[in-house]
Amino acid sequence: MSDALLEAINPAMFWEYRLVLMRGLAFNAYVFFSSASVALAVGLMAALLRVNRAWPFRWIGTLHVELFRNAPDYIMIVWVHFVLPLLLGKLLGQRIEWPPFVSAVVALGFVYSGYFAETFRAGIQSIPLGHLDAGRACGMSERQILWRIVLPQVVRRMLPEATNQFVSLFKATTIVSLIAVPDLMYQVSMVIQTEMRPLPLYTSAALTYFAVIYVVAGTLRLLSERWRNKIYA
Amino acid sequence: MSNWERLVWNQREILIKGLLVTIEVCLIAFAFAIVGGLILCLVRMYVRPLRPLAIALIEFFRATPIFVQLMWVAYVWPELFGWPNTFFTAGWLALGLQSSGYLAETFRAGIEAVPAGHREAGYSVGMSPFQVFRRIVLPETLLTVAPSIVNQFTVIVKSSTLISVITVPDLMLQALKLVHVWFEPIEILTATAAAYILFVFLVSAAGKALADFHRRRFGLAAA
Repeated sequence: MSDALLEAINPAMFWEYRLVLMRGLAFNAYVFFSSASVALAVGLMAALLRVNRAWPFRWIGTLHVELFRNAPDYIMIVWVHFVLPLLLGKLLGQRIEWPPFVSAVVALGFVYSGYFAETFRAGIQSIPLGHLDAGRACGMSERQILWRIVLPQVVRRMLPEATNQFVSLFKATTIVSLIAVPDLMYQVSMVIQTEMRPLPLYTSAALTYFAVIYVVAGTLRLLSERWRNKIYA
Repeated sequence: MSNWERLVWNQREILIKGLLVTIEVCLIAFAFAIVGGLILCLVRMYVRPLRPLAIALIEFFRATPIFVQLMWVAYVWPELFGWPNTFFTAGWLALGLQSSGYLAETFRAGIEAVPAGHREAGYSVGMSPFQVFRRIVLPETLLTVAPSIVNQFTVIVKSSTLISVITVPDLMLQALKLVHVWFEPIEILTATAAAYILFVFLVSAAGKALADFHRRRFGLAAA
């Protein structure tokens, strides 16, 4: 066992392939930023639907949130990659294909938009109604009230919760390797197929992800805490 | 409609077999996660010398993606520790370890939320520290964290789709196998996705109902 343990923590193999593996990690970051943008944009829209006065809009927003919050991300990625192109192709009467990267971003973006929608909604509903009245009293339009009064406060209030969701989203980007998006896990399994030595490679991959997520999440929490303290004590 | 009948309804036995494996893995992982999380939490809070180890384990389980952990447990642990020797065991073990890290932090929050006065009341009627923990702190904690524990079960169910990657024959794997046999993914994958969404929705609805019930019955805020 001690031999195996030594081999497991021996980073030589990981170091040998560092270039291709780091490119994989960069791809993780790329998928993360793309799907986080989708998730934030769609999540904000869903949240605005959920706090709308008209019930059909509220209903659509609720449906969106319940659908995507309860969906496992792996099956959503598989569905978007294998089923959605066929459905769209049938609809448009032509063959449709897109690269796995697009499927990954769309699927992860929509799944996490459900979580972000709830975070946005909680933030929006925590704004005192008096702030909205104050805006109306000085003649702001509804849109101005949203962008100048509501959202700036919402963003600050939702930061701690949003940080947790960003961490979950980054962790979820590891499964995009399963539809052959060349992220770190994909590169690791490719190297394992040539070298036949899962021990050091999977261990180093796990430790790399741990280090990245632990450090980045800690920094984000610290920064958001400081920023919140600076803006309203 | 005939496609749905041919690809989903006529294959229902295979899919239900997969669903049962999913439920089995999730329940084992859930039980393991509750016990493991409670042990990690107690070690972290009350066993001074082992505290750094418990914190390191909790942080590692929490900050490593479940997919990476799954591959690690399935392919590295057998060589490292000679166990787990089947992929089924590796599946629930990885799911359980990940959730035990989260549950340890949930339990800690729950234990810290028990008012000091409750403990002191126990001491003042002559209970030993162990009695205070078993009769006062633990029941109160379990009550406050019960909804969060149910939520953690939905996380396990969602992550359990990944054990199909290490060939555990769960619902996801059976669905993917059917897709490979028939080359018609639309109905099979849509039905599978719908089944998962419905399952997770029911579990989280139960969690919400439990939280509401606790709030009304015991006047507790959700942890």
